[in-house]
Formats: sequence, structure tokens, C-alpha cells
Amino acid sequence: MLLLGFLLGLAVGIGFWIWQQVQLNRYLERVLQPLNSRTAKVTTPWLPRLRQEIAMLKQQDQDLQQSLQTYQDVLDFAPVGYLQVDEENQLLWCNQQARKILYLQRWQPGQVRLLLELVRSYELDRLIEQTRDEQVPKTKEWMFHPSCDNPVEMPTIKSLALRAASLPLPNGQVGVFLENRQPMQDMNQVRERSFSDLAHELRTPLTSIRLVVETLQNRLEPPLNRWVDRLMQEVDRLINLVQSWLELTQMETSLAAQLQTEAVEVRSLILSVWETLEPLAQRHHLSLSYSGPDSIWIKADPARIYQVFLNLLDNSIKYSPPAADIQIQTKILQPQDHQGGEINNSVLEINLIDSGTGFALEDLPHIFERFYRGDKARTHSPLPANSPVETIVGNGLGLAIVRQIVLAHGGSIKAMNHPHTGGAWMQLQFPEVMANSQSQDYS
Amino acid sequence: MKAVLYSPNPESPQLARAIRRLERDVLRMGALVEQSCRLSHQALFARDLQAAEELPRLDKKIDRFYRQIESDCTSIMTLQAPTAQDLRCLSAFMQLVRDLERIGDYAKDLADIAVKIFPYPPHTSLPEIAVMSHHAQAMLATSLVALADLDEVGGRSIKHLDDTVDNAYNRLYQTLAQQRDVPGVVEPIILLALAIRCLERMADHATNIGQRVAYIVTGQRS
Repeated sequence: MLLLGFLLGLAVGIGFWIWQQVQLNRYLERVLQPLNSRTAKVTTPWLPRLRQEIAMLKQQDQDLQQSLQTYQDVLDFAPVGYLQVDEENQLLWCNQQARKILYLQRWQPGQVRLLLELVRSYELDRLIEQTRDEQVPKTKEWMFHPSCDNPVEMPTIKSLALRAASLPLPNGQVGVFLENRQPMQDMNQVRERSFSDLAHELRTPLTSIRLVVETLQNRLEPPLNRWVDRLMQEVDRLINLVQSWLELTQMETSLAAQLQTEAVEVRSLILSVWETLEPLAQRHHLSLSYSGPDSIWIKADPARIYQVFLNLLDNSIKYSPPAADIQIQTKILQPQDHQGGEINNSVLEINLIDSGTGFALEDLPHIFERFYRGDKARTHSPLPANSPVETIVGNGLGLAIVRQIVLAHGGSIKAMNHPHTGGAWMQLQFPEVMANSQSQDYS
Repeated sequence: MKAVLYSPNPESPQLARAIRRLERDVLRMGALVEQSCRLSHQALFARDLQAAEELPRLDKKIDRFYRQIESDCTSIMTLQAPTAQDLRCLSAFMQLVRDLERIGDYAKDLADIAVKIFPYPPHTSLPEIAVMSHHAQAMLATSLVALADLDEVGGRSIKHLDDTVDNAYNRLYQTLAQQRDVPGVVEPIILLALAIRCLERMADHATNIGQRVAYIVTGQRS
């Protein structure tokens, strides 16, 4: 009886043990299943398999760690700056270049501090906030002024032109790439300076050459003076080029401050430009059609705006086929919820459309650059010597000057090809429309 | 070596977070004030009128920060039951943003002066005033660094820098006041006297900020 009870107990115990083993095996099987993709079908005992899998995982982990380290080293050494902040704008990590650009010497790796405690740059902070809020990558350029607590060194510290590209990362983190644009800007400035120095140096001898030619012109007999006339034209062209260059350089640095703005009536100004160009236009039987409100007043510098339309219309005349029509359309773009009455926020849009050959598509992005000439065949078509407007054309600076003037007025200019006429289509926008009497259509 | 900010209170992470946010806003405001000082310097000494035009816009932003930080401070004080150290920090912040805001105002005043003085030829003592302005800006920078690091020593050291500015103020005041045989009108001289007054006030407020940082750390007014 006692023995029977013992055996029964043993049997129950063994049964229990076996059941547990089976459970454990099944459990391990399940655990191992996602891991062993390679040794799938081989039914080895589970213990060595487990050991093998663990070793493999360890190896993988090590490899990953190593590649992570490599990437971090590469990023640390990168020629652009990189920094990463967490959701509270605390600096998590930055590379050597970022430390150099932002003067982050006070930061040590592993230290977590507010970025603003280390770099007091409002722009950088804004960029990071915006990137996090909108969850889209952003870029921004600004002048970074390193702050300095030593009054003696202060004048020697240079501001840097920085460009930052930020991207949102998981968990509210934000990564920012920083690029120091200062060397590039310095180089540009040096180039500009040497160019305008050169132009300055050229101006005086050119003027004296012109004087000499003028003297010669009066003294030479008919067969010879043809050559001198030609020389005169070319000298004038050179003088004009140098003059425009100097003007353009000066505009770029300080035009906005020098504008003498007053109320300008756009329609009559355009018409007076056309009158100046009329002799030229009549030769090709070109006509101007104006459509838009009767009188529009904008706040602008009349002399400069005159130059804008002179250059633009002159181009249109040059490239138009004979007996064509040059259209100018003006309209006032009202901002929403602004009807009548005060129209301070409205924008004046001027469209200038000709029916010439238009711009080649690959030239379009560059036409406002200095000396950019799309069609090489069209350059230097000399005008007859007696043309009154000869001096304003064809030096490759016209559109650059136009753009500079429009920008100084706070406006914008776009070049396109018109879908109907196939010709050039210049679209200008000016802010600061002052008032206009009842609009009347003049089409 | 320096304690990372405001040993966050373990009992209420929410409060620690709110204070951290606040500190971030104070530093942001500090960055803006620094910027406006730089612009006013440029307007006055490099005759850059565009910089002067930008200042009112910046000043509006600074004012907005000022009001927001102040109301945030009050709401934290009333709603979140801060401890003694936190309370000290909050009240110091409230005082400190006031100082910052005043510095911003003086920067704007300097820009106005720059516009008014523009038509006159530069005065001979202008370079000396520029040095004084550099000193004031350096003091502001030092005080903001002290705030960021919660550096008591740095905060107190600003007081010594202030002496330099005060001396420069006295010297310049004498030069301007004792000038004889003024050609033309006296407006440029009056404007310069006002300018050095603004700079001197700026430096004073920067000193105050340093003192308040020391107060946050030690709890003692000196």
C-alpha cells in the first residue's frame, strides 16, 4: 500500500517533470524561431543551439557597435558642422567643425546642456523650433555673431555667414548641419572689388582716348575719318560698359539707402520712356499697347524706374520682329479681405510682353547675371552711329541693373516666355502702391 | 565643473521642466538683447542706418518675451508650489528680465540717437565711445554666460568691469561738457552725452543681472 502510494507519487512527479520539459522546449523553440534563419531545419538539441545563437547575437551587436562608432567618427571628422539637440533643445552631440564654427569650446562630449546656454544664437534656436514644430527639413542663412566677453578682443572677432540645414529626427530630436559660407563670401567680395578697381582704372585712360579721337575726327579728311568714326563708337561702347559696371557695383552696395523716392505715376512714366525710344521703334514699325488702370501711383525713385523701363523696352525692341506689338499690362493685386479704400498692402504687377524669339530655356535662370548672353549670335549688333539711344544697349549689364533697381525698391522681377506670343515676358512686382483713381480699362 | 542647471527637483519633474523652459526663454531673450546691442553699435559707429531701422522690430519681440516670461513666472509660483530654491530662481528671473528689457530699450534709444546724429560729421571722441560700447556689450555677454553656467564668481566679477565703464563715462562726460568754441549747433554733443548715458545705464543693468545670478546660486544679496 505504501509502495503503491510512493509509485503513484513518483509517476505524478515524473509526469509533471516531462510536461514541464515539453513546455520549456516549446518555449525555447518559439524563442529561437525568429533568430535562426540559417540553421532552420536542423533539429539539434536546444541547449547548444541556444548557446550558438547567443554568440551570434553578441557578434552582431559588436559589429553594429563598431559601424556605429565608425559613422560617428566619420561625422565627427566631417568638413561641415553637425549638431543634434533633444526635445528640450539640449545639445546632445556636435562634431569638431560645429565646435569650431559656433565657438563651442566650453562644451565637453557627454555633457547635456541647453544649446542656448552654449551658443546664444536666436536664429539657430528659431530654426530648430520651427523644424520640430513643422516636422519638415529646413534651411536658413544668417550672419552669426559670436558673442565675446572680452572688450579688447571684441573688434577683432569676425561675424560669419552661416547656412544651416536642419532635419527632424525621432523623439523630438533635431539634427542641424552647419556650413560656413564666410570664405566664399569673402572671395566674392575680393573678386567684386578687383573688378571695380579695374573699371575705375580703365575709366580715366578711356576718357582721354575719347578726347583724342574727338580731336582727330575734326581734322581728318573723308576717306580716313570713317575709321575714326568707327573707333569712336567702340570707345563709347567701352566707356559705357565701364560706367555701367561701376554703377551696378555701387547699386549693389548701397542703392536702397540712396533711393530718392517720391510718388511716381507709372503709366505716364512708361509712355515717356517709349517716346525716347520711338525713333528706334519706328524703324521697325513697332507699336506699344498699354492696358491697365489709368493712373497708378507708386512710391519709387523716378530716375531709376525710368532706367528699368528703358532697358526692358530697349531689349524688347531689339528682339522683336518688324511690325510687331509690344504689350504692357498693369494690374493691382489686392490682398484678400482688402476691398477698395486704403490699399497700402497691395502690389502693382507689370507684365511686359513682346513677340520676339523669347529666351532659350537653359538661359532663363541666368539672364539676370552680369555679362550673361544667351544667344552668342545676337551679341554685338552694332546700331547705326546716329542713334540717340545707342549708349544704353548691349553691354550685357542691362538686365542685371534692372534687377538690382527693382530689388532696391523691395520689388521682384521674373522672366518667362509668353505662351501665346512666344516672346519674352517680364513680370515685375512693386510694393507700396499709393492710391489709384477709379480703375478704367484701357484695353 | 559647473553644476548643470537648477539641480532638478526630484519630487516634481513637471516643475523642473517648467523652470527649464523658462530659462530657455530667458536665454532667448538674452540673445535678442545682445543682437540689438550689436545693431545699435553698428548704427552709431558704422553709420549703418539700416541697422537702426531694424531695432524697433527687435524691441517689440523683446517686449513680448518680457511679458510672457513674467506671466509664466507668476503662474508657476501660484500653481506649482515651488521650493525655496526654485522660488528664489523664479523671482530672480522676474527681476532679471526687467534688466534685460531695459538694456534693449537703451539699445533702441542709441539707434534713435544714431539716426539723429547721422547728418553731423563724426566727433573726435567717437572712437572712445565705441570702446565704451564694446565694454558694455562684453559685460552683457559675461552676465549671460554667468546665467547660463550659474556661475556665482562670474556674476560677481561683472562689478569690476562696471568700474571701467563708469570711468569712461566720467572722462567722456568731462570731454564733452568742457568743449569750447563749438562750431555750429550743439546737438551732436548733446546726442553724444545722451549716448554715453545710455551705455552707462546698459552696463549698470548688466551688473544687476550678474548680481541676480549670484543671488540665485547663493541666496544672498550683496
